[in-house]
Amino acid sequence: MRNSQEQALQSLIDDLRQRVAEAEETLAAIRDGSVDAVVVGGEGKDEVLVIGDDVSAFRNFMEAMEPGAVAVDSAGRLLYANARFRQIFAEDWDRLKGKLLSEILPGPAAQLIGRLINSDSEETAPVSVSFLERGMERNYLVSARPVHLGTVRGFAVTFSDLTERVRAETAERAQRVANAIIASANEAVIVCDRMHNITHANFAAEALSTQKLVGARLDTAIPLKFPDATGILEIGELVESSLAGTPLRSIEAFAPMSPGARDVLVSAAPLNISDDEPEGCVLTLVDLTQRKKDERQMHLLMRELDHRVKNTLALVLSISKRTAASEETLEGFQGSFSGRIEALAATHNLLAGASWESLSLRQIFGAEVSPYAETSGDRINITGPDLSLYPRAAIALGLIFHELATNATKYGALSGETGTIDLEIHPRTDSPSVEVTWTESGGPPVKSFSRKGFGHTVIARSLSYSPHGGTTLDFEPSGVVCRIRIPVSDVA
Amino acid sequence: MSMEETSTRKLILYVAGETPKSLAAISNLERICREHLPGKYQIEVIDLKKNPQLAREHKIVAIPTLVRELPIPIRKIIGDLSDEQKVLVNLRVE
Repeated sequence: MRNSQEQALQSLIDDLRQRVAEAEETLAAIRDGSVDAVVVGGEGKDEVLVIGDDVSAFRNFMEAMEPGAVAVDSAGRLLYANARFRQIFAEDWDRLKGKLLSEILPGPAAQLIGRLINSDSEETAPVSVSFLERGMERNYLVSARPVHLGTVRGFAVTFSDLTERVRAETAERAQRVANAIIASANEAVIVCDRMHNITHANFAAEALSTQKLVGARLDTAIPLKFPDATGILEIGELVESSLAGTPLRSIEAFAPMSPGARDVLVSAAPLNISDDEPEGCVLTLVDLTQRKKDERQMHLLMRELDHRVKNTLALVLSISKRTAASEETLEGFQGSFSGRIEALAATHNLLAGASWESLSLRQIFGAEVSPYAETSGDRINITGPDLSLYPRAAIALGLIFHELATNATKYGALSGETGTIDLEIHPRTDSPSVEVTWTESGGPPVKSFSRKGFGHTVIARSLSYSPHGGTTLDFEPSGVVCRIRIPVSDVA
Repeated sequence: MSMEETSTRKLILYVAGETPKSLAAISNLERICREHLPGKYQIEVIDLKKNPQLAREHKIVAIPTLVRELPIPIRKIIGDLSDEQKVLVNLRVE
């Protein structure tokens, strides 16, 4: 009996000890902030009292905020998330509450925000994060500020949606880049919409029209004519073709309304901005005017060259025949023929150096006479103004000087040690020809040519292609005098 | 009764609505059980804000409090269960 009383007492003591321990533990938990609510009983009715600030006011404030906002404890655990945040992640609060931010946000964004709420600094610069929201990338500026929620110290984290701003900035930058590309293109670039209205045009394009291009209709601003072979009637067909999915490249056209009417090479490609149908057409126009001009010049030169080669060959053939007829020996033929061809070549060389435009008479004289005498020495004198001669007269005069010089070397002023040659270029008058006189003196007594050979024929006939050209050869006792008349039409 | 059934913990977590400590306690308990007692636990969360009278059964005063009802003897852990070691010691069958 006594034992059972002792046992009951001992049990009571153990129970009381247990209760005291529990009470102490409860008080310690309240004191050190491990709990944030207590149950109090009054008038037989229990009630829960929350310790610390009333968080409902804070929640209401967050709920009204336009940016996404959450309250987290120091571990990053969600204590509250407002409607916008729940909308971003398409989650109910029941599924979000108590979760760590790192479980909700994608890795890189969670790391950045983790650094924000782990920072010791009170003021931390916001970070920019982006993640997919229903398949679309969105950008947020995230900032975190420390707050007290009930008994805990945590953070209010806000997510300001920058997506539209970032998109607008990206679009604006893309537009600037596109404009810069168009502007810096050397070729004319024109962009038009589906209705053929011009939306962009660079400087080179503006130069093709007399009116302002942007805002104008393509076919009125730059009307083009296409060669029949292309089967295209007007520029609008290029636009329609590329809008329909068939870009056209390098089509020759003529822009009759453009300043200085130009030949152009046109290409048209669809303007694809999204996956939908093309929003317009990009046209490039390469100016072919200079190339066309060069081609025409080249054809002209080819014809001229052909003509000259034929003339020269005919002249060589004639020189060959006439020389053969007037020379009695093969050696004589070789000497005379080579001399005449070289004379022709000398004038040709000079003309080639002058682009076959015109030659100075003094130059021709120098080239033909210098093989026989020092043209700058005492024995050769040139007086009078120099003349600039067109190719036909230059070649004829070259041959005449050659024959006169050869003759002077064989029989005239240059055959001895003391003879001289005076070339006098007479000033131009109203006469249809300009006169040049070749006068030899100081040589041996002159006899007329015993036989009028080819040399004489060359001198007499080379300039006879014009009624105002020709020569008169006189065998004065003092020396040969040759009066040469050059048609004024061949003097530049 | 099998050993498996004997070792199943029946846990009751008393919370007060969505106070920070209550949310932390729920989150911590779920994580600890998931990681350390997979398939061997049963949690009941009682919101005393909604039903304050339920505090009487286990004489709950401070919230949050976790009660290990099974296996006996009953154990109480007061606080947000952020001390994982303390929670594990109290949940382990002795």
